[in-house]
Amino acid sequence: MNNIELKQTLPEVFASRSTIESDIWRQDVTLERGKLYLVEASSGTGKSSLCSYIIGYRQDYQGLIRFDGRDARSFGVGEWTRIRQRHLSHLFQELRLFPELTAMENVEIKNRLTGFKPRKDIEQWFEVLGIADKMNAKVGLMSFGQQQRVALMRALAQPFDFLLADEPVSHLDEENARVMGELMMEEARRQGAGVIVTSIGKHFTLDYDRIFRL
Amino acid sequence: MMLVWKLLRKHISLLQVGGFFLANLLGMLIVLLALQFYCDVRPVFSQDEGLINSDYLIVSKRITALGGSSAFSEAEIRDLQEQRFTKSVGAFTASQYRVSCSMGIDGVANFGTQMYFEAVPDRFVDTQSSRWKFAEGDTQIPIILPRSYLAIYNFGFAQSRSLPKISEGVVSMVDMTVVLKGEGREGRMTGKVIGFSNRLNTVLVPQSFIDWSNGEYAPDADAAPTRLIVEVGNPTDDAIAHYIQAKGYDIDEDKLDAGKTTYFLRVVSGVVMGVGLLISVLSFYILMLSIYLLVQKNSAKLQNLLLIGYSPARVSLPYQLLTVALNAFVLLLALGLLWLIRSYYMEMLWQLFPTMDEAAVWPALALGGLLFVVVSVLNVLAVRRKVMNIWNRKL
Repeated sequence: MNNIELKQTLPEVFASRSTIESDIWRQDVTLERGKLYLVEASSGTGKSSLCSYIIGYRQDYQGLIRFDGRDARSFGVGEWTRIRQRHLSHLFQELRLFPELTAMENVEIKNRLTGFKPRKDIEQWFEVLGIADKMNAKVGLMSFGQQQRVALMRALAQPFDFLLADEPVSHLDEENARVMGELMMEEARRQGAGVIVTSIGKHFTLDYDRIFRL
Repeated sequence: MMLVWKLLRKHISLLQVGGFFLANLLGMLIVLLALQFYCDVRPVFSQDEGLINSDYLIVSKRITALGGSSAFSEAEIRDLQEQRFTKSVGAFTASQYRVSCSMGIDGVANFGTQMYFEAVPDRFVDTQSSRWKFAEGDTQIPIILPRSYLAIYNFGFAQSRSLPKISEGVVSMVDMTVVLKGEGREGRMTGKVIGFSNRLNTVLVPQSFIDWSNGEYAPDADAAPTRLIVEVGNPTDDAIAHYIQAKGYDIDEDKLDAGKTTYFLRVVSGVVMGVGLLISVLSFYILMLSIYLLVQKNSAKLQNLLLIGYSPARVSLPYQLLTVALNAFVLLLALGLLWLIRSYYMEMLWQLFPTMDEAAVWPALALGGLLFVVVSVLNVLAVRRKVMNIWNRKL
């Protein structure tokens, strides 16, 4: 997958609004593979909706979203499953981890599906992110900041053309955010993937190719 | 897969699964047992006659309140003989003297009765000719009894008096003492039951014995036949029914009693199977409800699995395997129990009907397999539907 196009896209709930001032809504935007984007948003501007539309979780929008020119609305169950496994990784704002599994199991449940990373690579990520001691701890017992790092590892345990990181560092200090940003970009570069980071304030200090205001 | 199972097994209620298991087992067992019992018992009621060919009709005159002779005149017999559908006609010859008969079982009980004999020409009786013969001077009389007589004894008399039940085989081994009286004379002979008949409601002896004994004990009596046995080409020929009706005769409806019994057996088995099916359906609902509840409780997890790239099929699989495994276990256990129960009642049946053929078990196996497949397919589809509802965010 080489590009994601948003053509005059608008959440249906915004349809009644007369003025929309946004770099994305009701615009024609193309996100390209290999580039790094930041979507800055204020609360209530539809950031979560945007992520849900791209990942295929919701379709309550006007306009078009196209992957390599193909209308995302036309994809069936099998197609979306394939996209989520191979082409589009999503780091959820609400993390969507499984609290009853350990940190390692949370990463493995994805990695076993994709068979993407050897286990020692994952163990190394734990080291790098500074939570190696939490590897076998239940995620439900970890802090949100620690959980964010587990969620990032899970998002990286698959091949992808685009990584959609929804507020990835909201609960991390500068140093941890930097480490996490580096890991994320390293993996993205290795795969030649595009990265879309969203933020409502705090965000990675990275060399963005383009910054959108939602 | 193991991790997914670890996630999804949460909220599985042992109580619900156990409830389903027991209910399904009970339902399945009742259904299979009813079918198997029906298959096992049916041959008892529809046992092949063997002795009297089923193409023979037994014709009598209708008995009316006005009386009148129930015997057939020679002209009537000749008329019947000349009908297109008739191949041959034989007359029943009744004994014209008094007969009493007694039977001892192990010297414990004596069962005695007044009775009578009848005979039809030997060509109408299909039995080994060496056993079905009587010559003057013989002391043993071969006898064919109606099967219902034995049933009366076994199910009525023996039951109420706590006497042992006797099988056809045992009866055939017992010698009956037969006393013939007439013309101031008395003869004592032994009777040997060589077979049982469903079709003839009479105590049948060889024609040669009747001819000899009537001559001996009631030489003057006129023995006009009251029943005729008729060999026809095609028993379903309409002309027969028309003729019989026009003449006011009766035909012994072939196997009517057995037919009735089989009918009731079928009705009862059907009702029992219906109850079993109902229980099965209810147990199916229990399982469905408990799976729906499970999916509902785990919907957030299922949703997350779908969002990180698990396909609905893969997410459904653990629950589908769970239900199919449960169903398979129920089927195996039901078949095992069926086998146990069957070997118990078959023993009783064999005591009553030693000559009974063993019925096949494949109808029950097939029905069990069919139930398993149908229930499993419905379960699998239902789980899949629920997961698809989550995919479509309808839950």
